[in-house]
Amino acid sequence: MSPYGPIDLRPVWPALIVAITGVIVLLVQAVTPRGKGGPFAALSLVGIAAALGATGVLATGPGRGAVLGGAIAADEFALFFHVLILVIAALAVLLSPSYLRAAGLERGEYYALTLFSVVGMLGLVSSRELVSLFVALEIMSISIYALAGLRRERPESQESAMKYFITGAFSSAFFLYGVALLYGVSGSTSLGPIATAVRGAAGGPAAVALAGTGLLLVGFGFKVACVPFHMWVPDVYEGAPTPVTALMSAGVKTAAFGALIRVFLQALPSLTSEWHPAVAALAALTIVVGNLGALAQSSVKRMLAYSSVAHAGYLLAALVAAPGVGTEAVLFYLVAYSAVNLGGLGTLAALARDGREPLTFADVAGLARRRPVIAAAFAVFLVSLTGIPISAGFVGKFYLFTAAIDGGYVTLAVVGVLMSAVSAYYYLGVIVAMYMREPAGEDAWGPVGAAAGVALTASVLIVLGLGVYPGPVLAWARLAARSLL
Amino acid sequence: MSFPFLTALVLLPVAGALAVALVPRRAERTQKLLALAFTTAAFALSLVMLSGFQSRAGMQFEASRPWIPAYGISYHVGVDGLSVWLVILTTFLTPLALLGSWSSIHERVREFNIFMLLLEAGMVGVFVALDLFLFYIFWEAMLIPMYFLIGIWGHERRIYAAIKFFIYTFAGSALMMVAFIVLYRAAGLRSFDLAVLASQPVNPGLQMWLFAAFALAFAVKVPMFPFHTWLPDAHVEAPTAGSVLLAGVLLKMGTYGFLRLALPLFPVAAVRFAPLIAVLAVIGILYGALVSLVQPNLKKLVAYSSVAHLGFVMLGVAAMTTTAVVGAVYQMLNHGISTGALFFLVGMLHDRRHTFLISEYGGLKAVMPWFSAVFLLVCFSSIAVPGFNGFIGEFLILLGSWTTPYARGPVLVTAASIGVILAAGYILWMVQRVLYGEVTNPENQRLRDLSVREAAVIVPLVALALFMGIASPLFTHTIEPSVAALVTQFHAAGR
Repeated sequence: MSPYGPIDLRPVWPALIVAITGVIVLLVQAVTPRGKGGPFAALSLVGIAAALGATGVLATGPGRGAVLGGAIAADEFALFFHVLILVIAALAVLLSPSYLRAAGLERGEYYALTLFSVVGMLGLVSSRELVSLFVALEIMSISIYALAGLRRERPESQESAMKYFITGAFSSAFFLYGVALLYGVSGSTSLGPIATAVRGAAGGPAAVALAGTGLLLVGFGFKVACVPFHMWVPDVYEGAPTPVTALMSAGVKTAAFGALIRVFLQALPSLTSEWHPAVAALAALTIVVGNLGALAQSSVKRMLAYSSVAHAGYLLAALVAAPGVGTEAVLFYLVAYSAVNLGGLGTLAALARDGREPLTFADVAGLARRRPVIAAAFAVFLVSLTGIPISAGFVGKFYLFTAAIDGGYVTLAVVGVLMSAVSAYYYLGVIVAMYMREPAGEDAWGPVGAAAGVALTASVLIVLGLGVYPGPVLAWARLAARSLL
Repeated sequence: MSFPFLTALVLLPVAGALAVALVPRRAERTQKLLALAFTTAAFALSLVMLSGFQSRAGMQFEASRPWIPAYGISYHVGVDGLSVWLVILTTFLTPLALLGSWSSIHERVREFNIFMLLLEAGMVGVFVALDLFLFYIFWEAMLIPMYFLIGIWGHERRIYAAIKFFIYTFAGSALMMVAFIVLYRAAGLRSFDLAVLASQPVNPGLQMWLFAAFALAFAVKVPMFPFHTWLPDAHVEAPTAGSVLLAGVLLKMGTYGFLRLALPLFPVAAVRFAPLIAVLAVIGILYGALVSLVQPNLKKLVAYSSVAHLGFVMLGVAAMTTTAVVGAVYQMLNHGISTGALFFLVGMLHDRRHTFLISEYGGLKAVMPWFSAVFLLVCFSSIAVPGFNGFIGEFLILLGSWTTPYARGPVLVTAASIGVILAAGYILWMVQRVLYGEVTNPENQRLRDLSVREAAVIVPLVALALFMGIASPLFTHTIEPSVAALVTQFHAAGR
């Protein structure tokens, strides 16, 4: 018997399954002759599917309280994110084989690292205790540092890994310092006791709690990539192998938002009137800078990097609403945004050949003539990013701005929609290139592999499906959001 | 439950788009025929609906079901006297536009037909939506096909024009979304249903802001002076089919938006803004006419004439008397027909000579007698010669605006009347330079006259223009009850 009573591991099953799969992939890699591919992607998918199954069992089974001394929760909120992150992981894995083949990177480590990062993400969204949360954050981040630098022969990839590592370490320090201050106020690292202590704090301790909150916000700010903590994003996203960029922009951001929401709503509800204005200011700044940055790009991949910064701003904008409304809007938008970003970056990855992939606007010129189907898919993703009906992006933005207005921040919503109009210029720029310009030279891009085809089709279906019939996912998001209150 | 006409009218073109998408790339003829068949079927269906339409106020053919219940959003459609003719106009013009561009679209025929069909679905959707959210969805979704139509199949500066069109209208309507969310929260009715929201207008101070946001979206679309600068580019660069639907239907969405949304939802603000709108409308009439007068480019002339014509419509809307609004609705239809026809004719000239410059033409009457006859009739319709549809519309607007309680009616009407004269000036001067005189340009010596296909496109429009000029009560009779109800409700709430 442990001091905490019988150890119930059920809530961590999904993460454990993913971790074990990662180890198995590494073992298979060890016995696979050098230079030979292995069934890594298939193995990873099986593991992810098993983890999804375990999540399903958890969702329907009894006993979903917090375990491991209250550090890990399997509430509706965590389960929502489990499903979302595992689906993101599955799509990212599906996008990988053809890209890795084209880049000569077919190695087990890639998949193992992807799986380990997913373990971190799953931990992030279910931790109710700041030290486990930090451990999860590091598991995720360290795996991604390595993934970003996987294309060792390319200086961009090295730069990407190095930059991400340094800024990541930096943000971890902020985060830890914030944890330390909150511990100083409350004598605990669990969210519940912190909430109680912060609520009762006055004078000096209250100031310390506020400082801790600020530092946590900075730490999360780096991970969700909001301005002014976004400087690393363009270079890191551009230099990393594209499927990794997709995983970063969808998975890391999703997990970081999950943790951010849980910490701020469960540990710091009494400081709402302090952190709401700060988040609103960050959101407005992020939306403006992200969109203006994207406007100036000549590389599609880099443009998508800035666009992911801008979208972090839209997501932050909803956090200023009353907890229930804001959270459900963020959850819904994370689904929409993840599908779109996996799809958009996945399109670039799917076309890779001989270590090259379409990057500039010139590279995608005339794509609609040569590859009408994939161009149409890309167009759907871009339309959704712009926030035009009938797409998930529109419905998602509608909920986000509704939440911001609900919180009394009409100006923030106005900034949001006006910058959406600005964003139309650069998103449509890609469509202009694909549909309205003539292709130059030979078709240099590879055939879209079956796995990548499945991933892109799934993304398109999610984007259009949520655009036409968002009800069920919204209801689920609402359920998840309520479980935090 | 009766047959869901309106849903069918929205879905039929979408089904058509899917069907065309499944046709092999090279089977261009099949694609064209399929698109034509689906749009014609939609037109036939809309006529069946019209035959069951009763001349009374209130919504007909209504259908409603919850869509996103958490936010009180429902799929709610219906038509009344304001919208029923606009639906018919849409279903009528779309097959004609397809037929009209039968031989002028040579590349990516499949995509062209798909976008035309999706555009039709979006346009019908805007006119039948009775839920703010649903309206906005159609309003925005429709931008995409039009953007592609201009950007892919347009003329030389098509990409510039397509982006300008998109950004302008998208930015214009972005604030509308914020406004309707604010309205939703402020009204506290947990509903996006138009009738529900209109039944309890929000406080006047807030109305001013919300009206301004809605009005901006609609004013860009109409377009009202000074938000019209996207129009000449978009209309001139669009392919003929795109110009016809832009001028014929899309612009009406703006004026319709005022009548359906902005006025009933924010009556107090509308009353206060009415003088401003009326003045801008009259400026639009005069400005559009003066610019048309000096246009060397035929298509641009027609485009700017739309600014003037829509100015009349907006004058009628702002006057808010039953007569003026009936005139405005009627004038929307007239403009759709006459300007649609003008764009077809200008497109036919362009098909032959690949230029829009008036100076390139001259003396066409001798070379293309049938074309010239039709052209002249359409011009008469456009400048509101008595006996043609345009006359009825403009007359009702001017008559009704004279007595408007919201602005200095007589002054505005007098100024607008100058616009009527100017219209005669720029159109007839253009007719003279294009049709009459000697054939100065040798390239014009051997131009073909109307083909059978072209005649099939243009004759129905001309016939309708004449018919609507003579048998106008047939139309105004169905429009009036709804307009009267709107005006009554507006006056009651606008105090």
